[in-house]
Amino acid sequence: MKFLIKYKKILGNLLFLLFIASILLLSVRGLPGNPTPTELNTTYWKDNGPFELSPERGRFALLYSIVENHSFNFQPGIAKFTAPDVGYMNHQYVSIFAPSVSFVAIPGYILGKYFDISQFGTYIWLALFALLNVFLIRMIAIRLGAAPLAASLAGIAFLFATPAFAYAVTIYEHHVSTFLILLTFYLLIRYNNLFSLAAIWLLYAFSFTVDYPNIFLIFPIAIAAFFRISTVQEVGKKILLHISLPRVLAMAGVIIPLLLFLWFNKVAYGNPFQLSAGSIARVISVKPNGAPVLLADISKPTSLPQVTKRDEAQGSIFTAFKPRNMLNGFYILLVSPDRGVLVFTPVMLLGIIGILIANKKKVPYMSVLLGIIGFDLLLYSMWGDPYGGWAFGARYLIPAYAILAIYIAILLTYWRKNNIFLLFFFTIFSYSVVVNTLGALTSNSNPPKVEAESLSQLSDQEQSYTYARNISELNSNNSKSYIFQTYAGSYISAWSYYTYITIFIVAVAAFFIVYFQAVTREELGEGGQHAL
Amino acid sequence: MHFDPRTWTISFGFRENLLQDIKHFIEKKATLLLFFILTMVSITSFLFYYANGLGLAYNDARSHLDIGRRVVENLKPGFAQLGSVWLPLPHLLMMFTIWNDFMWHSGLSGALQSMVSFIVTGIIIYQFLKKLQVDLFGRLVGVLIFIFNLNILYMQSTAMTELLLLGTMTVGVYELMMWHKEEKLVYLIRSAFWIMLSTLIRYDGWFLFIFAAGLIAFHTIRKYGYKTTEGVLVLFCTLGGFGIFLWLVWNQLIFKDAFYFISGPYSAAAQQNQLAQAGVLATKKNLPLSLQTYIYALVYNANLFIVLLSCFGAVLLWFDKKIQSSVRIATFALIAPFFFNVLALYLGQSVLFVQGLSGTSWFNVRYGLMMIPSIAIFVGYLFNRLKSLRFLLLGLVLFVSIFTFANKDAVTIDDARVGASGKNVSEVSGWLRDHATNQNGYVLISVASHDAIVFSSGLPMKKFIHEGTGQYWDLATAHPEKWVRWIIVRTHDTNDLTYKVLQFNPAFNQKYTLVNHFPFADIYELKSQYVPDLEPLPVLTDNK
Repeated sequence: MKFLIKYKKILGNLLFLLFIASILLLSVRGLPGNPTPTELNTTYWKDNGPFELSPERGRFALLYSIVENHSFNFQPGIAKFTAPDVGYMNHQYVSIFAPSVSFVAIPGYILGKYFDISQFGTYIWLALFALLNVFLIRMIAIRLGAAPLAASLAGIAFLFATPAFAYAVTIYEHHVSTFLILLTFYLLIRYNNLFSLAAIWLLYAFSFTVDYPNIFLIFPIAIAAFFRISTVQEVGKKILLHISLPRVLAMAGVIIPLLLFLWFNKVAYGNPFQLSAGSIARVISVKPNGAPVLLADISKPTSLPQVTKRDEAQGSIFTAFKPRNMLNGFYILLVSPDRGVLVFTPVMLLGIIGILIANKKKVPYMSVLLGIIGFDLLLYSMWGDPYGGWAFGARYLIPAYAILAIYIAILLTYWRKNNIFLLFFFTIFSYSVVVNTLGALTSNSNPPKVEAESLSQLSDQEQSYTYARNISELNSNNSKSYIFQTYAGSYISAWSYYTYITIFIVAVAAFFIVYFQAVTREELGEGGQHAL
Repeated sequence: MHFDPRTWTISFGFRENLLQDIKHFIEKKATLLLFFILTMVSITSFLFYYANGLGLAYNDARSHLDIGRRVVENLKPGFAQLGSVWLPLPHLLMMFTIWNDFMWHSGLSGALQSMVSFIVTGIIIYQFLKKLQVDLFGRLVGVLIFIFNLNILYMQSTAMTELLLLGTMTVGVYELMMWHKEEKLVYLIRSAFWIMLSTLIRYDGWFLFIFAAGLIAFHTIRKYGYKTTEGVLVLFCTLGGFGIFLWLVWNQLIFKDAFYFISGPYSAAAQQNQLAQAGVLATKKNLPLSLQTYIYALVYNANLFIVLLSCFGAVLLWFDKKIQSSVRIATFALIAPFFFNVLALYLGQSVLFVQGLSGTSWFNVRYGLMMIPSIAIFVGYLFNRLKSLRFLLLGLVLFVSIFTFANKDAVTIDDARVGASGKNVSEVSGWLRDHATNQNGYVLISVASHDAIVFSSGLPMKKFIHEGTGQYWDLATAHPEKWVRWIIVRTHDTNDLTYKVLQFNPAFNQKYTLVNHFPFADIYELKSQYVPDLEPLPVLTDNK
């Protein structure tokens, strides 16, 4: 018993880790085997399997080419697997995605390959980032004044009650990006030395190679880090501004990732400054002889009346985002039935109340955290495709969910004695878990409403576009979970599998809330002395 | 400056009150600095749009310039050329410069007043916020919101009336707020004067006049009772309503009907009736759609983020008990344009298309600009209240602005360039310029339908016989072959006055031949055998 009390904190954290890891393990998508290019091009692996959408295929294709072919270019079989999200340049098939997710996933692929589960190994490896994100949210929230239990609950809410869940079980950039955002922020608030600053700059540059918009999302942290190069001191009637040269030099941390990135671009595209999202010819499909069918060859140019070429803004990272799209973008991301936060993860809206409380309580670093949410929301509301293609929920807002979760922790801390609020929180948390577990266990392949309506007309069959589509998958006894497909599916239905996992998450959260409500303020306080 | 080799630190020393001194300097010279910056921005913007040809893209801009020009140069010049379609102040102001061909054809004659209004509005936004006790940072942000609006920058570079209206209305509301604050008569008179000017620019001003009168009545009756209210209102309305009175008198004198501007064939009401009959006036009698349409126009002009910030700012302002209640009530006048535009859409007196919501064009989407100064004031106020987040908010505002400028994302430019607002008449006007310059004979044309062609042709106004040339028009439409060498019409369109009066004229049907057909007009030319018979127009001493 004494042992338990002594190591209560460690034990609690281990149990928490075990809980998160077990849910992820039960949910990560996959199939057994080490697929070859021929196998990858079958519907077993593609539409019906873990590579249902092109972002997954594109990143896995680069990873596969690096490990198996020792090349940044794709062989025709892999290009066919990735089309239409594959480029063609200098007579080579190339990736059109930022490369680093593929690099990061290499250890998972190699480990998995050893056990004859290369795809599952890749996915589970990337799921580690989701797990780390939960702990980073927890650590940040505690440092900003949240109770440890509230911080843990907020971490659970982020991972299992938002579309982050559906993207933790596959190979997308969102959790790696979120990890980098949270880690740089944690470094900023936890340390203030040369190494932490150099690490922030290094991670900032690296984040760009994971997903280009990260340059904006981490910008508020970079600004805060920049101001750490100087200190202001009042001496008599004078103000002294000290600029630390070593801290200025710490900014050189950006060099290593950028050099590697330039090298990758040089090898892959023949030009160090060629971005994968740039002007690369898109391949629609690959002919049997291995030759490409280019998008430019099959699409006819259309012209607008009275619009001259001179007037059109030149293509760049800036022209891809238009403020005019904002109205539609806000609607799609926040309230629409096919993607909206209100429909998919209303629990995150409680973070807004947390922000107001934090503002009142003068919780530090608000500008930085709200800056991340602001840049995320504004950037993707200006993006021409705020839907994120065929997707589950507003996937672009996953970094914003992480920040909102921090404020949910603060909200829970301050309103922990309000039973009505806790009941309300639990209700919408449960609803959000119910919805998002659907996505995680079935599919992310939900069309935007406009596309679903066109498809309905074409196919003469009702196409659903909300999470109702995922319910249909369960009704058809489909789940893409590796554990379900390999083991559990022989014993229980997909519905039962889904129900058990959902109940497990909700029950653990309920335990947290009840325990949280029950323990006294004195037990909780004093800077995270409590086990959870 | 000092370098410490132990810590590798460079140190700079400043006087403790240096920042305060800089702040005081900016505060002291703010108006002058703003005047200089706004002037530079204004001139640069005008030159940019002049150079790329977009400054004259709006059909209405060309028409405004032509109206001003016809007052001073025309077969029948004079004030009667001001007509009844548009309120007269913008054209009256043009008269000082429009006689000059460069000022006319560059559009500068009309743009000049827009540019001056841009500068004045920017300064008034600053002053408005200052009177609301907003700090320097908030005041400058307010001005920044205004000048970083690409739609405003574009419109201030054109001969359109929006900026002049914004300028007069904003000054009027500022003076109204000052009267509510200090209750000095001089502010009431000034407010009445500026609002009176706005009533001579657009009908939005008429609504503001009524709205302001309502606010004045509310304030006075609450504080001083009925008798004082009566006196104050009479004073305000006498000057404030003088422009409306003059306009009614003008219509009575020129068109023999004080309400000709409402009932005339080219009035907005008549045009909207045509649209209603065509089934494209969906906002009429539909309040939710009217609201939605105007809110969309507002959002597309200002961008959603700024509009949301301004909504927060407005709510904070109206619930700020540190500001006296009468001042807060006065600031309601800032949203008068919103009510006016929604009401006008609902009553079917206005038409506005928003791509994706109603129609496929951005026709008249510029009406959304009317709230920009108000939005700038509310956002400036918000920055003052949310001091801890002001740098974050500024960063986000700049972030969105960068994308606006990088994409040249301005709906008003799209409206001007594509669709009904921006007829591209270069083909027909180019033909006319190539064939009619220095040639004998006049051009018969209806300026109500084809003013843009008149402008773009580059020919002198005296070359054209139009419905505003009195007896010349009567003579030319009765016997075109005597004076008219070219006739510009939309064949078979009886909305085109020239075609309407000529369609059964034997001379038109027999002696003219269709020489070219263009998207917006056809050109008929007198057959060559009749050209030697063309005569110079008679000198009419009593051309009425």
